[in-house]
Parts: sequence; C-alpha cells; structure tokens
Amino acid sequence: MNMLRASVILSGLTAALLLGQDAPPAVTSPAGAGAVASTVPNLPSTPAPRLPDGKPDLSGIWFGGGPVGDLALGLPKGEKIPLLPSAEKIMQSRLSKDDPEANCLPTGVPRTAPYPWTFATAPGRLYMLFEGNIHSYRQIFMDGRAHPADPNPTWYGHSIGHWEGDTLVIDTVGFNDKFWFDFRGHPHTERLHTIERYTRKDFGTLVNQITIDDPGAYARPFTVTFNARLMPKGEMMEYICQENNQDVSHIKGPAGVP
Amino acid sequence: MKGKASVIAVSLGLLIWLAPLWAHHSFAAEYDEKKPVTLKGIVTKVEWTNPHARFYVDVKDDKGNVTSWNLELASPNVLVRNGWTRKSLQVGDPVQVSGSQAKDGSNMANARAVILADGRKVFAGSSSDGGPQQ
Repeated sequence: MNMLRASVILSGLTAALLLGQDAPPAVTSPAGAGAVASTVPNLPSTPAPRLPDGKPDLSGIWFGGGPVGDLALGLPKGEKIPLLPSAEKIMQSRLSKDDPEANCLPTGVPRTAPYPWTFATAPGRLYMLFEGNIHSYRQIFMDGRAHPADPNPTWYGHSIGHWEGDTLVIDTVGFNDKFWFDFRGHPHTERLHTIERYTRKDFGTLVNQITIDDPGAYARPFTVTFNARLMPKGEMMEYICQENNQDVSHIKGPAGVP
Repeated sequence: MKGKASVIAVSLGLLIWLAPLWAHHSFAAEYDEKKPVTLKGIVTKVEWTNPHARFYVDVKDDKGNVTSWNLELASPNVLVRNGWTRKSLQVGDPVQVSGSQAKDGSNMANARAVILADGRKVFAGSSSDGGPQQ
C-alpha cells in the first residue's frame, strides 16, 4: 500500500516536474523511454508534422537525445560496450575534474548536455544549435559533398547528412580525441566515426540511434539509442558556461559517478 | 503516519537523484550527499551567472564568529524555466539553507532549499524543489 502510494505520488511529482512551467524532461532516455513518455500526457502521440516538401519537420526545441551520465544506458538490454583494454585503462585513469564538460568545453558527439537544442536550416546546410555546454553549434553539409580526405580533427568533426525515408542520417568523421562520451569518461580516438539516425517517431519524440565505430577504442561498432523530447513551449536561452565556473577546483575523485 | 514518512523519504530520494541531471559536471564528484548542511544567515551576494547561479551567506555561530558560505544553485536558465527571477533572492535576505557540502570540505554547498524569514520557500538547487512561492 505504501509502495503504491509512493509510486502514485512519485508519478504525479514527476509529471508536475515535467509539465510545470514547461520544464524539460528530467531524463535523457535510453531506448526504453516509456517511463518518461508516460509522464508527459500533454504531448500528443500524433504523427510528426511535415514540411511542404514532405520531409518530417524536425524544428522545435528538443531536450536530450544523447548520453549524459552513462553511454551504456543507450545499449539494448543485456549488451555491453565493447571497450578495448587500452580504452578501459584510459577510462579507469580519468578524473572527474578533467571532464571537458565540467571545464566548459564542448560535448562532442553523441554526448548531450542537459540543456535544450534545436535544428536550424539553410540551403544545403543543417545546423544544430546548442543552448548548453557549450553555447555552440554543429554544421552538417546536406549538399551531397563527401568528407575531406584528411579532415582537421575537431570537437564536432566533419558532418554530412542525407535523408533515408523519414530518417535524417548524419555521418561524421574528423573528431579530435578530447571529449568524453559521458560523466563516466568513455573514451574514443581520432578514428571515431559516428552515424546518427534521427527519426521523429511522433509529435513529442525524436529518436536518435547512433552507431559508434572507433577501432582505436572499441572492439567492434555498436549502436546506442537515446530519445530527445520536445519542449512544446520551450525557447532557447543564453548559457555562457565560462562566465563563472567555480566547480572544477572542488571536484574530487575518479570519473564514473554521475 | 509511517506510510506518509516513507512516501516523503522516497520523494526526497527522487529529488536528490534528479539533481545531477541539470549540472554540467558530475554532482557526486563535487558534493557529498552524506554531508547535509543547514545554514542560517544573511545573503551577502547573489551571482546570477552560468554555469550555476550562486549566492553567499554569512553564518554567525554561538560565539559570534562569522563564516561565509558559497552556495550553488542550478543555472539561471533552469531557474527561470521554473518560475524564478534574478530578484527572487536578494542581498540582505535572512535565509535558512539546506543542501550538501562540497567533498573537499570547503564552505561551499549545493543549495537544495532556501527558506526566507517569512517562511516562504524561494530557492532550490534543482528544479525539483519548485520555484518561488509567490
């Protein structure tokens, strides 16, 4: 009885949190997003809206859609991340204070900051604009070009995109090896290649299925899935992390705790 | 009665669990949930800045010694989305703050709830504690 009451109150509380003042969903959900979806009753499970050209309309303010605390949360049930021993060693040696995100550096791909983001389009280009950590953007070429032969390694890499039916596919190479995939410190090398597949499953849900291929850190390519949730009344705000970051000097211990 | 208590405890557990999700850093690497602090004092400064809003409180002990505490909130963006304004907490406000102290033992804490002298609960370290009761 107590448990029942507790869960009812918890559900109500969670719903209130999610709905009150248009707060974003508190959890960046892995594949099994039902727990969050069930607490957002005001987002209709109607089909995704479409643009005049017939493509799904991905505009809107989104929250989540990538790992925050732990990349492994996006794995299918029962699977493990195929870390190479060298990568596992790097992960175990990492300290929380060195997490680039704690130091106001970019998330890279596919990590997501717990802040909203949105797509913006221009002819032949697609941009992802991030409110939080850091107040930055990704540029995706949609004009059919190929990746350069030897791209300059960067935090967000070199991205080219195309549509496969109702799914936006973003292929990215040319990453630096500086960002972490999550608070736990899952590493990668400059050989990282990501393929993100964004599908607006319904009005309120954007599914991001990400294949991570990095023979320098993982034994085989693997796929994680995270859902972004729509903030129907959301607006992007300014977030300049470098303004007053006092945290790093107080952060202690190894990476691995969210 | 016992049932109510456990419900509250579970709810509180959820609130604590939610806290890290707003931060750009690992919550547990910086703050110790096993070091709860309750502070009574006067607000001396408010920093409405990213990545976290902060306020500073002078706390006087029984002998009259004053210690200044640095208290971390969520980011202004998260606070605004939950109904706050930059004037919700002001210099000179007498407050009671509860939160978790920094693991390094410094006079720094993540503020979870702030109660004004008139009993109004106006502040929280995470959205889960609600916005200003105005």
